[in-house]
Amino acid sequence: MIRTLQDVLDRVLDTISFHLTTYVPPLVVALIVLALFWLVAKAVRWTMTKAIKGAGIDRFLSDSGLRSMFDSAGRLHGTPLIAGAAYWLILVGGVLAALNVFGTDLTSRMVEATVFLFPKAVTAGLILLVGAWLAQYLGRSVLVWASNEELPAPRRLAAATRIVTMFVAVVVASDVLDFAPRVFFAAFVILVGGAVLAGSLAMGLGGRDAVRGYLGERKAKESEEEKSLWSHL
Amino acid sequence: MAQSLLPPEAQKAVAAVEQADIVIGIPSYNNSRTIGHVVQAAHAGLAKYFSQFTAVIVNSDGGSKDGTRDVVLGSSVQDSQLLMLSTPLKAVHRLSFPYHGIPGKGSAFRMIFQMAKDLNAKACCVVDSDLRSITPEWIDLLLRPVLFANFDFVAPYYHRHKYDGTITNSIIYPLTRCLYGQRLRQPIGGDFGMSNPLLCRYLERDDWETDVARFGIDIWMTTIAVAEGFRVCQSFLGAKLHDAKDPGSDLSAMLQQVVGSVFALMQEYDSAWRTRNGSTDAALFGFRYDVGLDPIQVNVERMLNQFRKGGEDLAEIWGLALREDTLRAILKLTKYAGPKEQFRLDDELWVRMIYEFGCAARDNRLERGHLLRSITPLYLGRVASFVVETAEMGAAEVEQRIERLCLTFEDLKPYLIDLWFGTKTAAREKAPQSEAPQAREMEA
Repeated sequence: MIRTLQDVLDRVLDTISFHLTTYVPPLVVALIVLALFWLVAKAVRWTMTKAIKGAGIDRFLSDSGLRSMFDSAGRLHGTPLIAGAAYWLILVGGVLAALNVFGTDLTSRMVEATVFLFPKAVTAGLILLVGAWLAQYLGRSVLVWASNEELPAPRRLAAATRIVTMFVAVVVASDVLDFAPRVFFAAFVILVGGAVLAGSLAMGLGGRDAVRGYLGERKAKESEEEKSLWSHL
Repeated sequence: MAQSLLPPEAQKAVAAVEQADIVIGIPSYNNSRTIGHVVQAAHAGLAKYFSQFTAVIVNSDGGSKDGTRDVVLGSSVQDSQLLMLSTPLKAVHRLSFPYHGIPGKGSAFRMIFQMAKDLNAKACCVVDSDLRSITPEWIDLLLRPVLFANFDFVAPYYHRHKYDGTITNSIIYPLTRCLYGQRLRQPIGGDFGMSNPLLCRYLERDDWETDVARFGIDIWMTTIAVAEGFRVCQSFLGAKLHDAKDPGSDLSAMLQQVVGSVFALMQEYDSAWRTRNGSTDAALFGFRYDVGLDPIQVNVERMLNQFRKGGEDLAEIWGLALREDTLRAILKLTKYAGPKEQFRLDDELWVRMIYEFGCAARDNRLERGHLLRSITPLYLGRVASFVVETAEMGAAEVEQRIERLCLTFEDLKPYLIDLWFGTKTAAREKAPQSEAPQAREMEA
């Protein structure tokens, strides 16, 4: 009995010893690697914040409208943005390097998958960013134009423009990521096709009179405008 | 000549003429119906008042398809009809060329200025091709201050109907006056005289491909002249009667180009206007007289509707440009439901709004086109308020009303400086009161 217990205890101690000798050194090394990367990331961020003035980036953020899109208060600045991106990039690199220290199949697959997915994720992110910017730009263009042209429901038109533009961006991004491309593509086709069909049916069945009335009203407004026109300049 | 922007046929013409003392420029686009009269007036003005000078009339055409250029080259005037005291010594050359670049008045002017520079002209003036009220005296009034009184820039001074030139009266004149301190009553009048150094300065600039190429050219010319310290004056030209504007021309686009140019120039010349307080009269040439003006129909109800609709739709955009209290006051006004005769968008609110939009354009808080076009309903609200307020007023009273608006612009200039430069102290200091407007009349 005692002998059996002794064997079990030995086996447990062997296992613990095996795990300690197998995993603890890599874990310690991984933690050291991570800490080193973290220190480097912090140093890089600090240096970049001090060294880069970022006036050009600020101008780009302003001119492109990205600043107002993400931060209407205008506090978004180029230098912390770039320094922050570098910080996180180095930190993610550190996590991957730390995982690589273990050399197991699982960690290797994780590192491979991340490295493989990274460019795609960046591309998809950029597509979504551009899509969001375009959606806002087009939405505002439609809003101002429709309001000045006295069209009905300018805000709804603007919202529809934003949604459609963003939806297209999501479809393209999902295609880049190979994430349920068929589902998104089918949804896109159904949405656009459905909108066209609904519009045609509405026009054909019930909207003819309304459209005729609206166009007639616009024509009357235009001729009235001509009569009351004066030189603004 | 090596850096000339002229098309080859214009360069050949310049080489043939070699030198001219005076250049009269007439931009055109499908103006065959009216341009003949303008050319005749220009020709007669040169023969009558500047017979001792060599002169060229240049038509800069935007690709007219109605034979505008043929009319320019074919129109003639009989000297015997002009009752001249002396016989003209030199013939007037008449040229017509299509300009290149962005279609618009600015591109047309660029070619005219380039020709004037290449011909080493002492003075140049530009007149619109759709004028029905131009007389030979206009040419004298636009050129004489440059040739004989050393002025660099002559702006027009017209008699206009109280509801005519509403962008000028409500934004451009008060703002330009308040910023640069010169009371040029028609800064975007369209008919100007200028000296050789000034037109060379215009040609040096690299912003010809912007809104300047279109409706922005007039304010661009005026602002550069006043902001850079050129000697400026005005000439009284009487009434300005011209063709009705194209009904399809878009008010929003017009506002965008004109107001956008003012805001862009505000940015460029902020060090110049920051230190200028109050305003002074600009010398006024010509003999002032009253003229009958065509009545103008204005649909106040429709303007108010667009103002109200703007409040419903564009609050999100206005919110990015305006301060909270200004926006709140504007939105409250858009909900006004009382009688239209009592509707008022008061001066102070209007001025603050213009200043805040100017700062928003400078800060690129949103795309400039969106920002500027979103002013349209606000502008219509202001015009509606002006129309109902001045409905029973005569021309002199209306002028006083505009003067009051100008003084509000000047009084609130410290507020603009505060917003623009972020100096808290400036906002509290009141700018010195302007001198009472006393246009000096001088006979040329």
